[in-house]
Amino acid sequence: MAEATTEPAAGRSSLMPALERMAADILRFALPVLFAFFVGAVVLAFIGENPLDTYALMLSEGFGSSRRLAATLSAATPLLFTAVATAICFRSGVFNVGVDGAFVLGGLAAAAAGTLLPVAFGWSIAPLAMVAAMAVAGVWLYVPGLLLARLDVDEVVSTLMLNFIALGLSGFLVNTLLLSETSGNNTTDTIHAVAELSRLMPPSTLHSGFLIGLACVFAYWVWARWTPAGYEAKLVGLNQRFARAVGIAIPASIVLVMAISGIVAGLGGASHALGQVHKFSDGFSAGYGFTGMAVALLARNSAFGIVFGAVLFGALASAGTTIQLFSDVPLDIVNVIEGTVMIFAVMELGRLSLRRGRAS
Amino acid sequence: MRLGARDVAKSYGAVQANSGVTLEVAPAEIHAIVGENGAGKSTLMRLLQGLEQPDAGSIVFNDRPIRLRDPEQALGLGIGMVHQEFMLAPELTLLENFVLGHEPVTAALPLGRRIDWRAARAAGDALAAKTDLAIDWDRRAGTAPVHIQQYTEILRLLQRGMKVLILDEPTAVLAPQQADDLFTLLRQLRDQGTSIVFISHKLREVIALADRVTIMRRGRVVASSRIDETDIDTMTRHIVGETAAAAPPAAHTVEAGEPVLEVSGLSAPALAGSHPVRAVDLRVRAGEIVGMAGIAGNGQDELIQCVVGLRKPSSGAVGLNGRALAGCDNADFRAAGLGYISPDRAHEGLAKAASIEDNVMAASQRAPAFRRGPFRRLGAVRSEAFRRLAQLKVRFGRLSDPVASLSGGNQQRLVFAREIATEPALLVVAQPTRGVDLGGIAAIHAILREFAARGGAVLLVSEELDELIALSDRIVVMAEGGIVGEIADETATPEAIGRLMLQQDTHGEAANG
Repeated sequence: MAEATTEPAAGRSSLMPALERMAADILRFALPVLFAFFVGAVVLAFIGENPLDTYALMLSEGFGSSRRLAATLSAATPLLFTAVATAICFRSGVFNVGVDGAFVLGGLAAAAAGTLLPVAFGWSIAPLAMVAAMAVAGVWLYVPGLLLARLDVDEVVSTLMLNFIALGLSGFLVNTLLLSETSGNNTTDTIHAVAELSRLMPPSTLHSGFLIGLACVFAYWVWARWTPAGYEAKLVGLNQRFARAVGIAIPASIVLVMAISGIVAGLGGASHALGQVHKFSDGFSAGYGFTGMAVALLARNSAFGIVFGAVLFGALASAGTTIQLFSDVPLDIVNVIEGTVMIFAVMELGRLSLRRGRAS
Repeated sequence: MRLGARDVAKSYGAVQANSGVTLEVAPAEIHAIVGENGAGKSTLMRLLQGLEQPDAGSIVFNDRPIRLRDPEQALGLGIGMVHQEFMLAPELTLLENFVLGHEPVTAALPLGRRIDWRAARAAGDALAAKTDLAIDWDRRAGTAPVHIQQYTEILRLLQRGMKVLILDEPTAVLAPQQADDLFTLLRQLRDQGTSIVFISHKLREVIALADRVTIMRRGRVVASSRIDETDIDTMTRHIVGETAAAAPPAAHTVEAGEPVLEVSGLSAPALAGSHPVRAVDLRVRAGEIVGMAGIAGNGQDELIQCVVGLRKPSSGAVGLNGRALAGCDNADFRAAGLGYISPDRAHEGLAKAASIEDNVMAASQRAPAFRRGPFRRLGAVRSEAFRRLAQLKVRFGRLSDPVASLSGGNQQRLVFAREIATEPALLVVAQPTRGVDLGGIAAIHAILREFAARGGAVLLVSEELDELIALSDRIVVMAEGGIVGEIADETATPEAIGRLMLQQDTHGEAANG
C-alpha cells in the first residue's frame, strides 16, 4: 500500500489462471447437475428402481444413436431461445419471468402469418412470419420493461401476470378469429407447406430452427462481450448506483434488454411453430420459458453454458418421454431432476469456501 | 488488568491478522489503539468481543484468561462496543433504542407482561443526568443528530452495565466541538470506573484523550506506552514503520484561471435525515481546489449529487465549462468535463463484483477510441486499463480479478485512475481518503495536488478538516443546507472551521450543557 510499485501483470495472465477459471466454470455447471442426479437416484431407489440402470437407459435414450441425438437437439431447440431471452435480462438484474408468454405470442403470430399470408408469397412467408413474431413479442415485453424503468413496477409481478394474459389471449384467438375450419378446437390451420422450416435429419423433427437458435446464442455472446450496450447492461446488473454514477442511462438499458428478450423469445416461438408443430394450438409451450430459465440459471448467463444446458435439458426431455416406454420409471422423475438442478444451480456453492476469507 | 490479550494470534487463510499480540487495559483507563488499515486493530477488537476466537493465546478479563464464545457472553461480562456505523434502528425513538433488547417490563398482568416505558424513561433520564447529557428521548433515532445517536448508543451500553467500552473511530462523524464533548463524557465515564478502548486514526485526539496508547502494525503490537511518554512524531514513526511518509510537497502556486464550475441559486430536496440545499452559490476555477466543510447531513451530499448529475435540483443553475446543465444526467456532465469521486466507494464508486478492468474502464465504453463501428475494441480497452492502473500505481494481480481483491487504498486509487484518465476539467471529490491508510492518503493527496497543478478544478468535500486545510486554496462551510462562510487557506484552522460548521446547529440538543 505505502510502497506503491506497479507490476503490470501481463506476464502472469497466461495460461494457468485461464485454465483455473475454466475449471471453476465447469465445476459450477457440473456440481448442480451431479447433485440433482444424486437426488434423483435417491428418489429412484426409494420407488424401487435401480438408479444406475435407469441413468444408463436415459443416457442411451438421450445420446445413444444419431436418431436419439436428433431428438435431443430437437427438444433443446426452443430452450436455446428462451434461455437466451432469460439470460439477457438476468444478466442486467431484471428478473423477467415473462419469456414463456412472449414465446407463446411469438408462436401465435408466426402461425397466423404462416396460415393467413397468401401462398403466392412463397419462400418469403417464413421470414415474414418470424418478423411478425419478433415484433409482437418484442412489444409484449417492452411494456413491462417500460413500466419497470419509468414507474418502478416490479417486473416479476408484471411479467408473471403477462404470461397468464398471453395464454388467455392466445387461447381466445385460436378459438375464434384464428380457429381452424378443418381440424377441430383450440388450434389454427396448418401453415402453408412452403413456410415450414427445413428438416435437418429426417425423419427426426430436428429443424433449421436449431441453427437459428445457435445463431441467437452466438449473437448474445457477441452483444454481451463486444458492444457498449452489452457492457453497460452488465454493469447495471452488478450495481445500479455505480452504473448511474458512471453515466449509464439505467432506464434505457432496462427497456433495451426487455425488448431484446421479447424479440428472442418471439423468434423462438416462431421457430417452434414453423419448424416443429406447423400450427399453433393450445398448450403450444410445454413450459419452455421456465425450463429456459433453469438453463440460464445453470449457465450463469454464459452463452456457452446455455448451449450445454439446453442440450442437457433437451436430453432429459427426450429421454424422459421414451424411458416410460421401456421401464416403469415415471416421467415425473425427470421433473424431479429438472427442479433439483434449478435449486442447486442458484446456490452459490463457492460461498461455502469463501465465507471465512477476509482479514481485518 | 480489566481486559486484555495475552500473546494472541489469528490468521485468515494465508493472512496473519494478529500474531503475538498482547494488550493490557487497566480499570478506569482510556486506552487508544492506533495503526493503519490492515494493521490488525479490527481483528483484535473482534477477538475481544467474542466475534472470533484466537488461534493461540488468550483473552484476559479481570486478570483471568477466558474463552469468549460469542458477543452475548462478552456483553454479559460487561464488554460492549460502539461501532463506527451506529446500530440504532432508525425508525424507533431514542428511548425505544435505549432499552432495545433489555426492556424493563411490568409485573405480569392478566394480559401478559408489557414494556414499562415509565421505568425505561426514568432509567434513561437518571443515566443521562449522571453523565450530564440532555436527550430528547421521543425523537426518532434516524432524525437525531449523529452525536446524539452516539450518546444514545453509549448510554444503552452503560445501562446494560458495561465495564469496558470499545469505541471504533467515534469522532469520524463529529464536528470538533462535538468531539470535545464526547471526550468530556468519556473522561467522566473513566473517572466513574469504566475502561475505554478507543480506536482512532487521529493522533491529536489520542494525545488529548488517552491515558495509554498501543500501536499496531502488520498484525503485531509495535509499541505501547503511557501517553505522556510519547508524542505524535514517535507514534507516526511506529505506525508507518521506519520508512516515514514523504514530506508533503509545497502547495502549488498556479494562478486560478477561468471559472469551470458555476453554481448559482441552487436548491434541492433533501435525502432522508438530512437538510435540503438552499440557494447555494459556488464557483470553482481552473487550477483551484475548493474545500467544502460541514457536519455530515447538512446538505453536502445533496449539493454534490446536483453538481454531478445524480440529482435534479428544484431550482437554480449549474454551469460546467460554460454549459448549463442543471437537471441533466451524469452522462451530460461527464461529456462537459466532469470526473467524480464518490463518497461511497463501496457502493457507488466501484462495482464490487465486477472485474478490475470493468471498473477502471467504466464510463469510457462509448468513447471513439474504444470502438470500431458498433463493437468495442477489447484490445484497446485492455491496454488502456493497464495504462490507467500503471499511471496511478495501482497494485493488482490480473485485470480479470474482482476489484474487491484490492486493498482499500488501491481501490480508491483505481477510482482516481478512472476519473482522471478522461482528463476532466472538474473533479468533484467527496471523502477521498475515507478508510484509506496513511500511505494511501499521502498518495491520494499528491494526485489531487498534481491534478490542480495541471489546471484542473477540484471541488473537495471532506469530513477531515486537516485534509481540507492541507489541500484547499479556500474552504467554504455548509450548515443546514446553505453556505455559511468561506475561509481563505491562510487563515484556516480546525477551530475556525468548526465554529462555522456549528454556528447554525441550534437544535438545542448540544450535550454537556
